[in-house]
Amino acid sequence: MAPPNRTARVAVLGSSVQRSRSKKHAAGRARNAVLRRLILAMLVIAALALLTVSFRSPTSGVLHDVQGTGATALRPFQIAAGRVARPFRDAYGYFQGLAGAKSENTKLKRELRTVRAQLANNDAGALRAAELERLLHFEGSPSYPQDFRAVNTSVISFPNGPFGQQVGIAVGSSSGIGLNSTLVSADGLLGRVTNVSKSTAVATLITDPDSAVAAVDVKTGVRGIIKPGQGTTLILDRVSKEKKVRKGDVIVTQGTRDRRYPDLYPYGIPIGVVLNTGTSDIASFLTVQVQPFAQFDSLDSVAALVATKRTPKRP
Amino acid sequence: MSVVDSVKVVVLLFVAAIMQVSIFAQVHILGGMPDVLLVMLVAVALLRGSVVGALGGFFAGLLVDTATLGQLGLTSLVLTIAGYWIGRYGETTGRDRFHAPFLSVAVVTILYSVGLLLVHFVLGERAPAGAMFRGLLPAIALNLIFTAPVYALVRRLLRPFDRSDLATEVQLLG
Repeated sequence: MAPPNRTARVAVLGSSVQRSRSKKHAAGRARNAVLRRLILAMLVIAALALLTVSFRSPTSGVLHDVQGTGATALRPFQIAAGRVARPFRDAYGYFQGLAGAKSENTKLKRELRTVRAQLANNDAGALRAAELERLLHFEGSPSYPQDFRAVNTSVISFPNGPFGQQVGIAVGSSSGIGLNSTLVSADGLLGRVTNVSKSTAVATLITDPDSAVAAVDVKTGVRGIIKPGQGTTLILDRVSKEKKVRKGDVIVTQGTRDRRYPDLYPYGIPIGVVLNTGTSDIASFLTVQVQPFAQFDSLDSVAALVATKRTPKRP
Repeated sequence: MSVVDSVKVVVLLFVAAIMQVSIFAQVHILGGMPDVLLVMLVAVALLRGSVVGALGGFFAGLLVDTATLGQLGLTSLVLTIAGYWIGRYGETTGRDRFHAPFLSVAVVTILYSVGLLLVHFVLGERAPAGAMFRGLLPAIALNLIFTAPVYALVRRLLRPFDRSDLATEVQLLG
């Protein structure tokens, strides 16, 4: 067998290989690689440092103030972007609405008849309740909506992914907004303010996994806790199996407070309507599915509530 | 990179970040949400390399966290790494490949989502992996739809480096 007659072409990393560029160039490239990694390391360390400081004091401190100033500077751009997008959003909403307009019209007419009958009963009940409160010299907490000033504003940022259900609004502490101020839309409860700067604020929606709202069924008086459910629905949790909750019942905020959040959700803000109820032998509580009144996926104009009446303090 | 290019990168990322938090964060299709900022960062990193990718990611993340009053540094951390990694891909194997932007966007969408999930998990916050994975495929599809126009725009504004400008690997002679 003849030996392979090959020229000695040295492997790429062999010692005798000639490189296309000079050693100086190779050294420059190595220096660039080091510099590149150094920049990455510095940026990662800076991000981790920011994250640590921000995590330790999310709603106060120098960094929070700087962030608030930055948010204020960015607000006009966000509002402008929202205005540019609004016609497209409206057009999409219009065509989407046309699809189910006929069936929805029939459903709404049916609901209107029911609501008219309820309104007459409610008016009579409200008249009697006002008289009784006067006779009993009843001193209550600020009640919605008469004891609250609505600060109307627009949403400037939306939940970014599944990790947090938070929206940014274009008003802040300079308009009287504080931590835990209630956020509503024309339809119903949206959430509460959880971070506030001078001219912007962030509100956590009631669809956030950590949200819990004390709520009551206005028809039966059954109380429970509103938590996020599957998809766009909510769940009225902690309702005893002996209690009766019917489909179509309206759920409103209960208005209770605790030591940590004295201003949390005034009484009577509409949350949603009961879609269905269910239970099982092993479950401790009823499963009450609630369809929220608020359209969380198309928020635009909202109102933050500022109490005009002093809230009684816990003893 | 020239000063003009730097200004262009800053403007592109700024506009993308504002559009993302103000417009695209509200667009939910089949449970997925497009991330124009991520697509823009991928395009910039592919055309301008790892250092610009990392710096751009850090800057864009800061903008998002500031605009949403979120935890500063969280988005920056993930976008910095994503920008660097895509930049390296652009400098080496992804150079001049037609599929590079599409492949990069698809892979980075997955890694970015998983990265955010991990950071939230490490911070002890709610990290709904189920919801994230359910929306992942639609998010990839939406991001891929945006890839072609965004990459074309960025390529028009940031002229790709000449081949001779790029570092060559070891060559055999003789």
